[in-house]
Amino acid sequence: MNRIVKFYHEMGSPPSFYRITSYWLKPLLLFAIVLTIYGLVEGLFFAPEDYQQGDSYRIIFVHVPAAWMSLFIYAVVGISGIITYVWRMKVAEAVMMASVPIGAMFTIVTLLSGMLWGKPMWGTYWDWDARMTSELILLFLYIGVAGIYSAYEEDPRKAARLAALVAIIGLVNLPIIRYSVNWWTSIHQGASISLLGGSTGIQGWGMLRPLLVMAFATKFYYLYAMLTRAQTYLFKTERKKKWVKQALTDQTGGNT
Amino acid sequence: MQFWALLKRDVLVAWRRKSNIYQPLVFQLLIVTMFPLGLGAGAQTLSKIAPAVIWILALLSTLITLENIFKDDYRDGSLDLYVLSGMSLPIAALSKATAHWLTTGVPVVLFAPVIGLLMHLPSHSYAVLLLSLAIATPIFSLLGTVGSALIMNIKNGGMLLSVLIMPLLAPALIFGAGAVLESSLGNSGFGHLMLLLGFAVLTLTLAPLAAGAAIKINLE
Repeated sequence: MNRIVKFYHEMGSPPSFYRITSYWLKPLLLFAIVLTIYGLVEGLFFAPEDYQQGDSYRIIFVHVPAAWMSLFIYAVVGISGIITYVWRMKVAEAVMMASVPIGAMFTIVTLLSGMLWGKPMWGTYWDWDARMTSELILLFLYIGVAGIYSAYEEDPRKAARLAALVAIIGLVNLPIIRYSVNWWTSIHQGASISLLGGSTGIQGWGMLRPLLVMAFATKFYYLYAMLTRAQTYLFKTERKKKWVKQALTDQTGGNT
Repeated sequence: MQFWALLKRDVLVAWRRKSNIYQPLVFQLLIVTMFPLGLGAGAQTLSKIAPAVIWILALLSTLITLENIFKDDYRDGSLDLYVLSGMSLPIAALSKATAHWLTTGVPVVLFAPVIGLLMHLPSHSYAVLLLSLAIATPIFSLLGTVGSALIMNIKNGGMLLSVLIMPLLAPALIFGAGAVLESSLGNSGFGHLMLLLGFAVLTLTLAPLAAGAAIKINLE
């Protein structure tokens, strides 16, 4: 069999998913830590000062990667929700439910760092601006997915399918919510980086590099945290299966 | 034709138990009394916030009725019978939503002018208010059916229902209350109303499918 096809099928089965991802965890964590340290040190101490916002703009190196992640992870939740709903793959369930708390955490980080940024820049912690509002609504969507799961927790498979349905509904609605919320006049600055037409706020490579490094660092952190949580999720839902007992005895050196 | 049979039954049940119909209206009256008490009774202050208050009251009073759309049917087993009868679940959900709209949405729309009067809504805004609510109350019922189908066998699911439904209703509130606000300021609310109508059509297309899927998972 083709190696990629084989890998794809292996990732769909909980025991091989556990076995394969176990090798990835340590490198992922290492990358995440190294890149975060590098990105933060360069961003906070060495990147040039912004001509308008002075040093306060430096919170961008936390705020913007977190905001990217909050949306990216919701996309992952939605897509694994579709896979969960249609093909009932256990690994997709695990990925979905493992991603929800991390995504909610990044959303909260985005909101909090944005509030801290808003105080010196706009003179207020909170303003009902379009982007802030849609970020807050995104948090509600995350809470909804987690809430429906925990309400049906005694039956994890049903809970996961209902949570997947909620995630899909949210995924369909997210663009509508975002555009409808944009109807308000916004005080938020335009997107810091756009693929077309260059950047408005970010000037030069010295500022862009730490931002991109932080974007990669958060991705690696997400992968690490998500895989760890997904493994735990599979342990929990498959606890009566043989491979879980085997994996646990291997881990504890047969002392259980 | 099962659609009509189910619709007739649900409307009759709601009609015989009239509390379902007048509860949202009493709730609106209670809450609208709180606004002048908290804000001061100045007609100018009240008329400025009137569009938002009327809209949010319509939203909240619908929300308190949503929890029970499927609960009774789930408990007494009639929901199993719908499935056994071979009825398509999205159609059943659509019928449930229609019945809910007839017994909750229509009274809310008809009651809105009363709230408008109490809140000193400018007289030239009433047409837009009624129109926006007439378009939006089906959205409340349809999305409410989805939420209700998701939480039907949870005890005290009301809070979870709000968390699930509120983000989805945000666009309806923005366009609907926006239309009334624009017209109360003397502008045309037409653009907002068109967007609201578009959202209603989209909801009508997708919500029954989602609700049907939720029923199916819950009965498995």
